[in-house]
Amino acid sequence: MKTNNIVPSSFRDPAGFVFVKDNVVYRQINKEYQRHYRKLMDGGLYEALIKKKWMVCHEEVDIEVDDAYKVIRPQQIPFISYSYEWCFSQLKDAALLTLDIQELALRFGMTLKDSSSYNIQFLPQPIFIDTTSFEEYEEGSAWVGYRQFCRHFLAPLALMSYGNIHFNKILTSYIDGIPLDFTSSLLPRRTKFNISLLSHIHLHAKGESFEGASQKTKNYKVSKLGLLGIIDSLRSCIQRLRLKKAHSSIWSDYYEKELNYTDEAFTAKKKIIGEMLQNIAPQSIVDLGANRGIFSRVASEMGIYTISSDIDPIAIERNYIEVKSSKRANLLPLVVDITNPSPGIGWENAERESFFTRVPKTTTLALALIHHLVIANNLPFKKVATFFSRICKNLIIEFVPKSDSQVQRMLRHREDIFSFYTQQNFASAFAKEFEIKQTVPVVGSDRIIYLMERK
Amino acid sequence: MLAYIDPGSGSLLIQAIIALFFGAIFYVKASWRKFKGLFSRKKDEEDSQE
Repeated sequence: MKTNNIVPSSFRDPAGFVFVKDNVVYRQINKEYQRHYRKLMDGGLYEALIKKKWMVCHEEVDIEVDDAYKVIRPQQIPFISYSYEWCFSQLKDAALLTLDIQELALRFGMTLKDSSSYNIQFLPQPIFIDTTSFEEYEEGSAWVGYRQFCRHFLAPLALMSYGNIHFNKILTSYIDGIPLDFTSSLLPRRTKFNISLLSHIHLHAKGESFEGASQKTKNYKVSKLGLLGIIDSLRSCIQRLRLKKAHSSIWSDYYEKELNYTDEAFTAKKKIIGEMLQNIAPQSIVDLGANRGIFSRVASEMGIYTISSDIDPIAIERNYIEVKSSKRANLLPLVVDITNPSPGIGWENAERESFFTRVPKTTTLALALIHHLVIANNLPFKKVATFFSRICKNLIIEFVPKSDSQVQRMLRHREDIFSFYTQQNFASAFAKEFEIKQTVPVVGSDRIIYLMERK
Repeated sequence: MLAYIDPGSGSLLIQAIIALFFGAIFYVKASWRKFKGLFSRKKDEEDSQE
């Protein structure tokens, strides 16, 4: 068999590649990786990683492929997300997992030959997905993935902690992590008094600038103790990185402060959504503008795999921390701005797919979102309706009328050019794309929840 | 080795230098932990005998 369905991001590593066949993801292991694969499988590392739930398990399958030593079917990941969609704690957990894995690998006489953030996914706990990332460790050899680790993890985390929480969004422009000279120039001077940041970012950036100056690359020796020291220093540095207290946000306090929901309305809304979801019975949903994921949890508790996205990184931070503490396996919080979602990036814009290419196109939850799209972002109803018809079959959408205090707040300092913003116009625009199945007013508020099905 | 990413020669030089420093710190930390471990194990045993 020839494999034509190679995943577009899977071309860098000669050890193998990932392909999709009949909607199942497989990984081909090339003959040149055989020695390392055997060491991983027979040397105890694979078993240790699986026992700790740090890496996806796999089974070897009988698919005949050219040049393959083996084909494996790894544990399937329900949704692939990227570091520029993660909140601070997700990126931090992914970084710490990478370090833990590198340390464990060294104990088993192996090492990570790369440390890309794209090797980590969330289930919702972070998990390593690249089975062919390990190679036999040779005494005295340096950690090849060290620079990549600093660029993919330490740089964005330090910038998010010392600078601004939104900094990981810049990773859409830098597919191989934030360059260290760039990071060094943006971090405040006081970070030079932090021995770890001084070494791994500032000096590291200076070292990179010497690159190419010498004609011959020397074979620098690094002892195992030195490697463990570097891992230890990176780990304690990352563990100490925190978000600034000032990074509080309007949205994450939405439920606490806002007067939009009375307790009655809140309970009513949960009940309406629960019933609508029961009606549709989807396997997975995407909750857009989920805030802290209160309504995502209605779906998740019904056993539906839920992607809970919001523009606000603090809301997603809180959402993720709750998901972690409750060990909720079927809820994935992600930071996504619907008005400017993650694009396709990398080679031919296909290496990492755009957010809406990846989302399951079945059911979408869009609660308290329409006014942000239409009023805050000036989108006509027609465009919003067409968009939703492209991304889902079933739509649960809430109409927030102009009388709502949130909408009033939005209009407080700008001219009201939205005379068309009425429930009637909303419904007729959506009726062109969808069949309106159900309309339920939320008791105790002026809002109305619609259940629609694409025509 | 199957290193398919460029580790960067400057980056390798820095890694070799800082590995000496962080390796030494790690050695001291690990030894200290071992020392404390011996001590606390003794204490635990004493506690359990009480």
